[in-house]
Order: sequence, then C-alpha cells, then structure tokens
Amino acid sequence: MPLKILVLIPCYNEEENIAAVVRRLRESCPWADYLVINDCSTDHSAEILRQEGCSYLDLPVNLGIGGGMQCGFRYAHQNGYDIAVQMDGDGQHDPAFLQAVVGPVAKGELDMCIGSRFITGDGFQSSFMRRLGINFLSGLILVLTGRRVRDVTSGFRACGKKLIAFFAEHYAQDYPEPEAIVMAVQHGCRVGEVPVVMAERQGGVSSINAFRSVYFMIKVSISLVIVRLSGRKDG
Amino acid sequence: MPESLRYILLLGAAAYLLLIFFLLKTGRLSVRFSLIWLASGAVLVVFAAFPYVVYVLRDLLDMIMPVNLVFTLLFCFVLLVLLSLSVAVSGFADRIKRLAQANAILEKRVRELEQELSGRRSP
Repeated sequence: MPLKILVLIPCYNEEENIAAVVRRLRESCPWADYLVINDCSTDHSAEILRQEGCSYLDLPVNLGIGGGMQCGFRYAHQNGYDIAVQMDGDGQHDPAFLQAVVGPVAKGELDMCIGSRFITGDGFQSSFMRRLGINFLSGLILVLTGRRVRDVTSGFRACGKKLIAFFAEHYAQDYPEPEAIVMAVQHGCRVGEVPVVMAERQGGVSSINAFRSVYFMIKVSISLVIVRLSGRKDG
Repeated sequence: MPESLRYILLLGAAAYLLLIFFLLKTGRLSVRFSLIWLASGAVLVVFAAFPYVVYVLRDLLDMIMPVNLVFTLLFCFVLLVLLSLSVAVSGFADRIKRLAQANAILEKRVRELEQELSGRRSP
C-alpha cells in the first residue's frame, strides 16, 4: 500500500505567493495530498484559496504558526496520513526537494527529517545575524539533546506517523521549529537532516523582523530548556 | 497599629468581602477564582479585628512596623492572585486554540459536503 503523504502549508497573509506555491506543488508532486492552513489572514489569501479550488483549512481566529501547524497535524492524524510535510507558503521551499525530505521518513530511517540549507551551502543562506542566531540555537540543541541539527529553524520538514500523533496533541506555539526538534527527541524519535536549496521569499513580508528577533531568541532559548527539563512526554 | 488604620482596614475588608459575595451571587465571578480573593479578604479581617496576630507575626519576622507586615502580606497576595490569573488565561488560551482547530477541521468537512451535495443536485 502506498504511503499517504500530506503537505501542510501554513499561510498567513501570503496573497502574493500562495497560488503559485500550490500550483507548483500540484504539478511537481501529484503523488502527495496538500492542505493549506489559512491562519485567519487579513489579506485576500482566503479568497484566492477559494477561487483556485485549493484544499484548505480556514482558522476562525489567528493562532500563529504553532497553532496552525498543530491543526494540520490534527487533520493528518484524523485522516490517517503516514507522513506530514511542512512547507512554507512563501515560496522559499522548492517542491522539487519534497521527495528528498520525505525519503528518509518513508524508508523508516527517521521520524523527523529536516530540509537543511546549510549542509551543501547552496542557495539562499539567510543573513549573517540570522545564521548567528541559528548557530546558537543549534549549539543549544546539541547541548540539550546531544543531536547535531544545523538548520534548526527550517520549516521544511517531514514527520512520520508517530510524530503526527504526538504533535496533534503537543506542539510549541510562537516559534515552534527549534522546540519541535527537542520535543521529538524527548519523545524518542530519530531526527535528521537532508540537504535542500532554499530560495529567498518571493514576496510579502516575513513574520520575523529585527525587533521580534530578540524576543525570538530569548523565548526559544527558554522554551528549549524548559522542554528539556520537563522530561519525556509520552502521549 | 494605629487605631484609625485598624478601623479603615476593618471597614475596607468588610466592603471587599461584601463585593466578592455580591459578584458571586450575581454570577459574575466563578467560585473557583473567588477562593483566593476570599482568603485574602479573610486575612484582612483577622488582621483588623485582632491586631495581636500582627504583632506576634511582626516579632517573629523581626520587622519594625507592624503595618509593613500587613503591606508585605497584601503584596504577596496580589502576586499570587496575578499568577493564578495568568495560569487561568493560559488555560483558556489553550482551550480556545483547540476549539479553533476543531472548528477549522469541521468547516472544511462541511464545505466539502456542501460541494458534494450541490454537485449531486445539479449535474
């Protein structure tokens, strides 16, 4: 029986990108289902999704990326998907790499496979300050879990059935990507990376600006430590 | 403790307790959250009615002014109440999140069912 794969695309005010992202995904990966999670966008994202006939969830209130992704995991869990892949709605992630990210999870080698832009170093590498922050978090995760994950903030990642069930119940909120790695390791899951090439976002604005990045670093560092201290979570 | 402060405290505590009971009676405050407020009111009443308790506590804690003890305790109560409110708000945030998620998943199902139905009616 072929594996049921669901691509989750969080979408908050992505009217410029979302239609192209979905179209590209449909064309290049017809073997995967997809689900756009419209996190109560204030622009025309919802209308575009309706007009394009996309498969989408419409959150009635803005929950942030964490709550939105959790909703996607819930949907995947309820509908019996084997693998859920997160892929950003801003066009940074190329569906051509979907197979690469899904592969290790499909083969049962990993429970969480992260698409990393730092393994080969090709493509968009983010700004110096951001790389500094990512390296710091990567070091912190190494200290906390003993695993080396380079691209800890990458939102291009595949999760297996075990993690779908876990994330449907427990998922980090504000900036969930690094925290999800620690949670997965705590839950006894194998986490790994594969190289991908990312593009710069095609249009619109990123949800992380200069002011928020300080808050981001502090919040994520604290929550990483707390997740680690809270011990193994089962169920 | 000055006599005047004692009466003010007594009056204030009584008014405060009355207000809590009024809110409870009219259903604007749930019993669950009123417990800590009632406890703080009760402590105030005890302090005002029996200042001796305050003096004993002051001696135990080596404070100079008994009034300071009252203020410190009240401040601790306020901190506790604020913390309990943050806990309550976090709990509500989690429930709202779950509701929103369940709602979104249901909405998708309804939308698809409606499309299926309208497709069947007008082929």
